[in-house]
Amino acid sequence: MNVVTADLTRRFGRTVAVAGVTLDAGPGVVGLLGPNGAGKTSLLRVLATVIPPSSGRIRLLGQDPGSYRQRRQIRRRLGYVPQNLGFYPGFTVVEFVEYFALLKEVPPAVVHRAVASAVERVDLGDKAKAKLRTLSGGMLRRVGIAQAIVNEPELLLLDEPTAGLDPEQRVAFRALLRDLGQRATVIVSTHLVEDVGAACGRVSLMDKGRIVFQGTPDELTARGEGTAAAGDAPLERGYSAVLAAARS
Amino acid sequence: MTVGTAYPETTVPALLRLARLHLTSRRVPAALAAIVACAVVLRIALHWRWNAYGAFQLPLIFEAGCAAVIATASTGPFGEPERVAGRWLPLLRLATTLTLTAVAAGALAAAGLGTDLAGGTGGLLRNLAGLTGIALLCAVFFGGALGWTGSTAYLVIATYGLYTQWHGPALTTPWIWPARPSADIGAALCAGLVFLVGVAAIAFRGARDASSDRDT
Repeated sequence: MNVVTADLTRRFGRTVAVAGVTLDAGPGVVGLLGPNGAGKTSLLRVLATVIPPSSGRIRLLGQDPGSYRQRRQIRRRLGYVPQNLGFYPGFTVVEFVEYFALLKEVPPAVVHRAVASAVERVDLGDKAKAKLRTLSGGMLRRVGIAQAIVNEPELLLLDEPTAGLDPEQRVAFRALLRDLGQRATVIVSTHLVEDVGAACGRVSLMDKGRIVFQGTPDELTARGEGTAAAGDAPLERGYSAVLAAARS
Repeated sequence: MTVGTAYPETTVPALLRLARLHLTSRRVPAALAAIVACAVVLRIALHWRWNAYGAFQLPLIFEAGCAAVIATASTGPFGEPERVAGRWLPLLRLATTLTLTAVAAGALAAAGLGTDLAGGTGGLLRNLAGLTGIALLCAVFFGGALGWTGSTAYLVIATYGLYTQWHGPALTTPWIWPARPSADIGAALCAGLVFLVGVAAIAFRGARDASSDRDT
């Protein structure tokens, strides 16, 4: 298992953002669903080693992120795209991705190939020399994804990665997710239930800091069958039904 | 066009490429220009006649300006993904800060050459180091964009400290180092300590990123 957490909790003052989450994930794409304020971003930030947990057990890629030395090992094998990724507008696409490749200690001999591959995989080959200030919001999201995959991460954490992508780009992105999930553990936080249905082999549904459902998209869909839960699609009805049950 | 043609292979060592990209992302060229501008204006101002109080105040203003520039350049645009991207970042921050401080020290000292620089070069370096330390600490706690608040606040305190030398009772604490003679060991130690703490904090913690919490 690349991600193992047990009773993981993260507090911000009196607010409990993540409340005793137990999650195991191996290679594949895991969708992290939930309403605003459910704790998805906080959980991803703990998994990305951005913030430490307040309590509970966590192991990433077989290592303990609480240890400085092991955290360094994890970070070398990690890709992370937060909700709001900052950009230096004067960088070109390849400069931005190369900066992260070098920071992540991609071997110098393969940096060139790794950067080219990452940029091509997000379909920005024809924009490789473009300054970031000239790119659209959707293209910047893809640049952000390119920096996350440039080191061929074994653990990839994506927070709302499809925000700002048009439908065609989202379809391409789902295909990229499925491809990445063949070798790596990909955890995708999203509001978009259809992304989960199309790209994720497993889904975890969070509410008020807790995981209230873990299973396959089909199992989530089944939870909504025969109920009056709100939603336009079967998966949405499953989502609504699980949330309603968790809150009742 | 493929990426390969847009991104030709280079023979520049990886560490140098990393350093160049890091310095660019911190807008170091603009910071260098601002520091040189401070030195040029100081040089011009030193040609005027100043009374003793004004002569001590004058370089302090430009030292505080350089400190603010150094603190501002400690902030990067990339946020969390950069902070979790490996072991080079603290070293890059350290190198950036020390390089800019060295350039500021050299530029301001050069501006004072052949003039009646109050406090001499020793005093200038001491004051710059202390002010830079304060600005860096402010960047760590409040963000690089607010680094200037620390050096500016200290400038006000130091100006008052200087004022009391002529209108007693004089403030004599070494923590207000600009009000002490340039040969004062205690003042130099205080300024040096603040500089070391500020540099260490910015290297290991980085400037505060308003959009996120601190990492460990």
